[in-house]
Amino acid sequence: MKDTRIDRRLFLRGLGAVAATSALAACGSGTSRSAGNSGGTSSKTLVVRNSGGAYGDANMKALYEPFMKETGIEIKVVNANYAQMLAQIKQGRPQFDLIDNSMIDFVKFTKEDATQQIDYDRLKNAKNADIAKNLLTPTAVGKNYWGSVMAHRTDAFGGRKPSSWADFWDTKALQGNRGLQHVDADIPELEFALLADGVPLDKLYPLDLDRAFKKLDEIKGSVKKYWDTGALPGVLLGRREVDVSTVWHGRLNDLIKQGQPLAYVFQGARRQSNGWAIPKGAGNVDAAYQLVDYSLRPEVQAHFAEIYPMAPVVPAAYKDMKDEVSANLLGSPKNLETGFDADVEWWVANDDVVTKRWQEWARV
Amino acid sequence: MAVLAPPPEPVVAAATGGNPQGWRRRLSGRRTRFGLLNATPVVIYLLVLFIYPIFSTLLLSLKGEDGGFTLHWYADALSGTNLDILLITLRISAETSAISLVIGFLLAYWITRLRPIWAGLVMLVVVVPHFISALVRTYGWIILLGDHGLVNETLLALHVPGAPFQLLYNELGVVIGTTSVMLPYAVLLLYAVMRGVDRGLMAAAASMGAGRLVSFFRVYLPLVAPGLVNAGILSFILCLGYYLTPALMGGPKQTMVASLIDEQVMKNNQWNGASALGVILLLLTFAGLLLLRLVKSMSEAAKNRGAA
Repeated sequence: MKDTRIDRRLFLRGLGAVAATSALAACGSGTSRSAGNSGGTSSKTLVVRNSGGAYGDANMKALYEPFMKETGIEIKVVNANYAQMLAQIKQGRPQFDLIDNSMIDFVKFTKEDATQQIDYDRLKNAKNADIAKNLLTPTAVGKNYWGSVMAHRTDAFGGRKPSSWADFWDTKALQGNRGLQHVDADIPELEFALLADGVPLDKLYPLDLDRAFKKLDEIKGSVKKYWDTGALPGVLLGRREVDVSTVWHGRLNDLIKQGQPLAYVFQGARRQSNGWAIPKGAGNVDAAYQLVDYSLRPEVQAHFAEIYPMAPVVPAAYKDMKDEVSANLLGSPKNLETGFDADVEWWVANDDVVTKRWQEWARV
Repeated sequence: MAVLAPPPEPVVAAATGGNPQGWRRRLSGRRTRFGLLNATPVVIYLLVLFIYPIFSTLLLSLKGEDGGFTLHWYADALSGTNLDILLITLRISAETSAISLVIGFLLAYWITRLRPIWAGLVMLVVVVPHFISALVRTYGWIILLGDHGLVNETLLALHVPGAPFQLLYNELGVVIGTTSVMLPYAVLLLYAVMRGVDRGLMAAAASMGAGRLVSFFRVYLPLVAPGLVNAGILSFILCLGYYLTPALMGGPKQTMVASLIDEQVMKNNQWNGASALGVILLLLTFAGLLLLRLVKSMSEAAKNRGAA
């Protein structure tokens, strides 16, 4: 979900090349995989798909390496995208045993009948762990929270601090430029408009589109930039181009550490989650379950949050944490209450319509 | 395609003297046959990788949802917000090419008067920024043009009325961005033409009593006019399909056709509409090239009249 516009564009430009290499890669690994199976070594190798980058590195450090040390199972990583994964699964022999992806994509996978039913009896760390129900779906298991929050400059607005979406919308009391997320980056931020209009957190879905866009009309004149890459809100806030903006939580951590006068607001945060799913036709289901279960251990979850700004989904992970650490994580007991979960089922069903409407709204 | 096809014909006709026999004689030559054989790979390459995709795009743009022939996608592309986007694209391209021409002219003129080594250095300065990643360049623009950027801070310090100006996320921001991208093309084209101008002609004009302005407008400008036309139309055409800068430096109101095509394909999975927009863009490009040809033949006709 966090692919930037430019990445996508480069991807589009190199579509031919990508298609060719992925075809080659599929062939190559296909043969090596079957060779591995015949050699009887496959139970010792687990192929995991993740999105790569800093997120992939953090997983290697906090999750895969300790897991390999403990179990002796070797983990290999691939970075196939959604379409490539789907194509491989449909062919019946995916080169990966376990998918690490956003829960919203797993809804799409499930619609395509590409993922296996999860046998929760094999996940002892998911049992009675108090993980949110919407993260334990029949075909996918939530792993880490991420999401969109408000962020503002602490030196703006004459010392007043926005604390809710109603404040974000109050351009008279808090005069200054706003930043909102562009529809190209992720699902648009209609929920924030509805919250600002007084809709309670638990009554958001199904979204009232007319009401949301009407509320968005109010703020349009103050929105200086609709950001389309995750790094842009930090730049805009840092350069005082905007005083308050939406941002993917975690993207400002480095700037705040460097002493920039920026702060997150967790009230009304929209949570999404990355999770696990096992593709149909996976070669090493046993090891996949082992890794999923391992990743839900409280100490593993807490360790991951130290390395990468995604929050544990297991409440026990917050127990031994310092307050100032857990206060900055979207899944901490307090932040769980003041934020909400994006209804990924609703978004998958309505994404096309809303995207089109957003584009037309923004242009006028 | 149809637009591009007519112009070459008169040229061929002129070369063969309009004589069909001349054609046949030429084709029968051994050398020609060998040449045609050599050209085959290129022809096949173009057919497969160029002509075929363009025709399938054309077909896609004429295909209705039920599979039949329709002009619906063109009607859609030429109405409502889509038409606005097309007009905005044309306007931004026209503004960009006009500003690139003015700045490019001054820059190229200045470079021709420098010593070669300095000229090379200045050309480097003009071209090098384009090797930097677009994202980094965008952040550079924010640092330069933002509300608290270098330009606005300087203007504020000089107490310029109206400062700070909004130089980003509007049409001005886009035109600044696209102009900086098109400028090297304009400079390179103009520089090449200006280098070929004989400075003695200016001296001759001066010796005959022409003032600096008169000799500039009546001697220098006509001599570099072909370069101006080329540079203007080239930057216009390049800008029509430009994509990254408008998205990064503009707001949602500065959506250009290329972004719209991307949206339709990547977000809305609407290939037919995107194809129609692509074909319209292609036709506009051809129209630009046609205009270039027209202007050239007109100026040649004028020159011939002058010589006679």
